[in-house]
Amino acid sequence: MGNLGEVHQLILSLAGWKMVFNLDSIVMSWIVIAVLLTFGTLAVRKRDVIPHRLQVVGELIVGSLYQLTEDAMDKEKAEKYGPLVVALFLFLTLSNWLGIIPHLDEPTKDLNTPLALGIMGFVIAHFVGIRSKGWKAYLGEYFQPFIIMMPLNIIGELAKIVSISFRLFGNIMGGAIIILVVSHLTFSVVLPPFLNAFFGLFVGTIQAFVFTMLTIVYISVQTN
Amino acid sequence: MDSASLTSLAANFGAGIAIGLGAIGAAIGEGHTAAQASPAISRNPQMAGEVFKTMLVGQAIAESASIFALVVALVLLFTNLPVSSYLTACAFLGASLSMGFGAIGSGVGSGFPAGATCHGLVRQPAMANKLTTNMLIGSAVCQTPSIFSLVIAFILMFGDYSAAAPAPLWAALIGAGVSTGLSAIGAGLGGGLVAQSCCEGIARQPRAAGALTNSMLLGQAITQTTAIYGLLIGFILLFKHHPETNSIAAAMALLSAGICMGIGGIGPGIGEGFTAQGAVKWIARNSEGIGEITRSMLVGMAVAESTGIYSMVIALVLIFVV
Amino acid sequence: MAIEGVDLIKAAAFLGAGLSMGLGAIGPGVGEGMAAAKACEAIGKNPKEAGLLTRTMLVGQAVSESTGIYSLVIALLLLFVV
Repeated sequence: MGNLGEVHQLILSLAGWKMVFNLDSIVMSWIVIAVLLTFGTLAVRKRDVIPHRLQVVGELIVGSLYQLTEDAMDKEKAEKYGPLVVALFLFLTLSNWLGIIPHLDEPTKDLNTPLALGIMGFVIAHFVGIRSKGWKAYLGEYFQPFIIMMPLNIIGELAKIVSISFRLFGNIMGGAIIILVVSHLTFSVVLPPFLNAFFGLFVGTIQAFVFTMLTIVYISVQTN
Repeated sequence: MDSASLTSLAANFGAGIAIGLGAIGAAIGEGHTAAQASPAISRNPQMAGEVFKTMLVGQAIAESASIFALVVALVLLFTNLPVSSYLTACAFLGASLSMGFGAIGSGVGSGFPAGATCHGLVRQPAMANKLTTNMLIGSAVCQTPSIFSLVIAFILMFGDYSAAAPAPLWAALIGAGVSTGLSAIGAGLGGGLVAQSCCEGIARQPRAAGALTNSMLLGQAITQTTAIYGLLIGFILLFKHHPETNSIAAAMALLSAGICMGIGGIGPGIGEGFTAQGAVKWIARNSEGIGEITRSMLVGMAVAESTGIYSMVIALVLIFVV
Repeated sequence: MAIEGVDLIKAAAFLGAGLSMGLGAIGPGVGEGMAAAKACEAIGKNPKEAGLLTRTMLVGQAVSESTGIYSLVIALLLLFVV
């Protein structure tokens, strides 16, 4: 159980700067990306009015997620941000599911992945906000409703990044720990697979959905 | 007194606290569920079998938080963990406080949606599958704060403290446990309230089921932010390098940071839970107004969060500035 | 009062056992009470179903008891095994 904290890292020194690559997360992320690209390519090949199976799955996912985005923002913005939402959701769901396969780890088990996606969502939201409202209105919002609230508003915005990243990381890491501990404490073949399915599939899907939905909400709040 | 004895002492005491505190919440939540099952069955005795099954499933999920506490207690008692210095004793105490307190909120909270689902089943027997699925989702998300407590408890128990200077790290270890544990109470309760009104709402207005589930997940996610702040302060206390000093003031600053974030996270969690509960309740009654209601819910929750942010700021000041 | 290592460990074990069972008794007490209260209400509204309602109440209370049992087990372990 002590090897929970061990991470394979590649450390390069480049002109005085030390670069650390967490090899596990990088390789797992590549696997997820490869699977998604394969699925995408196969789903759009031979597009037909009567869809074949992969196309049905693809249309289902894209359709429901676009509907979700439209509910939060208006139609034209939803068209623009739809692809981002679907990509985010699919990447996160597949990443969280990867832990079920033996010898594979979830890339979201490393804090860097959720944090990076959270910062990406934050940057997009604020960039969109500045572009649609202009600098003055955007900065003016931080001083509402009282001028002294400015530092608190700024901290509140930063806290949003922390909250969505840590929520995803905590859930996935917690699930991995629980499965490890129960497998260590019981000599059962039956219990760990159930737990694995529960934490990996069920909780993983829900958390991916929550992350995606919060990103949508943050973007739509900035553009109102 | 040597480290090994002190560590055994802390392990025994900690195991008692962990399961003692951890048992409270789940039992109350399960009792609430059983309490809601009775009027439901009395209203519609034909659905007794369905309601009974749902009650048991709901109670099982509410139990999971106290099972985490039991696991922590057993690991403390029976696993021979390496002892480095008296820091290990403080780490065990911190782990037991973290899991003990953390299981309270989620236990009580997960009981609420199960109870509401029992009522919903007799009101709308045709929606049985959807109601049960929604209850499972709501209860599972409600368990998140206790999962955070478990993560901190495990990092504390299995951490290697042989290379670290004892003072003031001992206070940081206990503070990390207190911070994560206490702040999980409010978030767990709040999340449960939201899930309760969502289950009720779906029974009332089956057509709005999709919108209600989305609103529930959004509400629960934001309600859990103070538990995340508690987790963040816990991580900072555990992994920051604290300069070695023998002054008791520095140690108390770290401990107080944990207490501050921990207790400070309770109120906003419960308050945001009330907000989201009200919002989901009225989205069920007025599905057209979902945009307006959601906006006002978000604004209200952001303001309710403010004291939680103040606590986090003071905790950060205590760790980094003082 | 000679405070020695072994003595203090036993002292902590006893303290832990007490806290474990003491705190652990709160929850089941409250929970089972709520279940019983609602069952009485329900039987009052619909006395014909008394048997079914009593059965449901007892099962619900038994599940709620389980965390109390966990506390009892840990308390006994602390008293006699550690």
